Amino acid sequence: MIDKHHGWNSSVKPIVLGFVISIILVFSSYQIVVYRHLSGSVLTFCVVGLAFFQAMMQLIFFFHIGLEDKPRWKFGMFLFMIFLASCVVLGSMWIIKNINSNVMMQMPMHAH
Amino acid sequence: MKELKKAPLEKFPDSHHDIYSKTVFGFWLYILTDFMLFATLFAAYAVLHNSTYGGPPAKDILSLDTAYIQSHVFLISTLCISFSGMYAHRRQAKLVNFTLIVTLLLGFLFLFLQFHEFHHLLQKGHSWVKSGYLSAYYTVVGTHTLHVVLGLIWIVLLIGSTFTRGVTPATIRRVVCMKMFWQFLNIIWVFIFAIIYLLGFI
Repeated sequence: MIDKHHGWNSSVKPIVLGFVISIILVFSSYQIVVYRHLSGSVLTFCVVGLAFFQAMMQLIFFFHIGLEDKPRWKFGMFLFMIFLASCVVLGSMWIIKNINSNVMMQMPMHAH
Repeated sequence: MKELKKAPLEKFPDSHHDIYSKTVFGFWLYILTDFMLFATLFAAYAVLHNSTYGGPPAKDILSLDTAYIQSHVFLISTLCISFSGMYAHRRQAKLVNFTLIVTLLLGFLFLFLQFHEFHHLLQKGHSWVKSGYLSAYYTVVGTHTLHVVLGLIWIVLLIGSTFTRGVTPATIRRVVCMKMFWQFLNIIWVFIFAIIYLLGFI
């Protein structure tokens, strides 16, 4: 379907397939949030999971990320970015969560 | 007369030494740094998303339906600009111009919806000075909107370039870089829609 060497830049199939998959994924996440087919932390997990899956699909079909021939510079640099972004995002969330739970909130009225 | 001996290109282990591959790869590296920028903004949003300072929660002030329409508009515009890149590789100048113009129009529609939402929010008094949550919201969505504005300016210049020069090796490079930029913005919008709008409405 996707010609690894020269065809993928000028073929219609990956573009249309990526578009259709993205539409389906956006539609599904909208549906499950608005119509509450799921609930609670499962819902959060599904919405975030669908978002990451859609991003991955768009990266594969539009950017052709995993599909280059060796040496895979594009893919390698992308993985490095994922590593750094995970450190920043997850690290910030973890640290702030720890600070919030370990530092007591100041009471507005002091008993002086 | 000494003849300089040049190693033939096939002997290199990496065949991507043409200017197209180097330009596209360099632009890809820029896109990765832009991903990092948005990652830091999303980290700030993740920390501040509950800090509404006593104000109304996200579901009372944001419009999920507008964002859903924006998602579709942006997806269609990404489809158009992907076709632009494809037609550029096929050397079909007229179709490149046509799809670039359609992308431009859809981009303007997206911006119109976005500024309409901002205007609506600001009119109700939900400005970025009111709470940490609103600051984070305006920073993430505002940075994305700024990228879209600059992207649209770039599309206009690119249309000028392809209209006057047609499809040359240089314009193919530019159309492909533009296509990568717009697809990148689409991926960021996917995360904005999921994390800021959908998770805000749970």
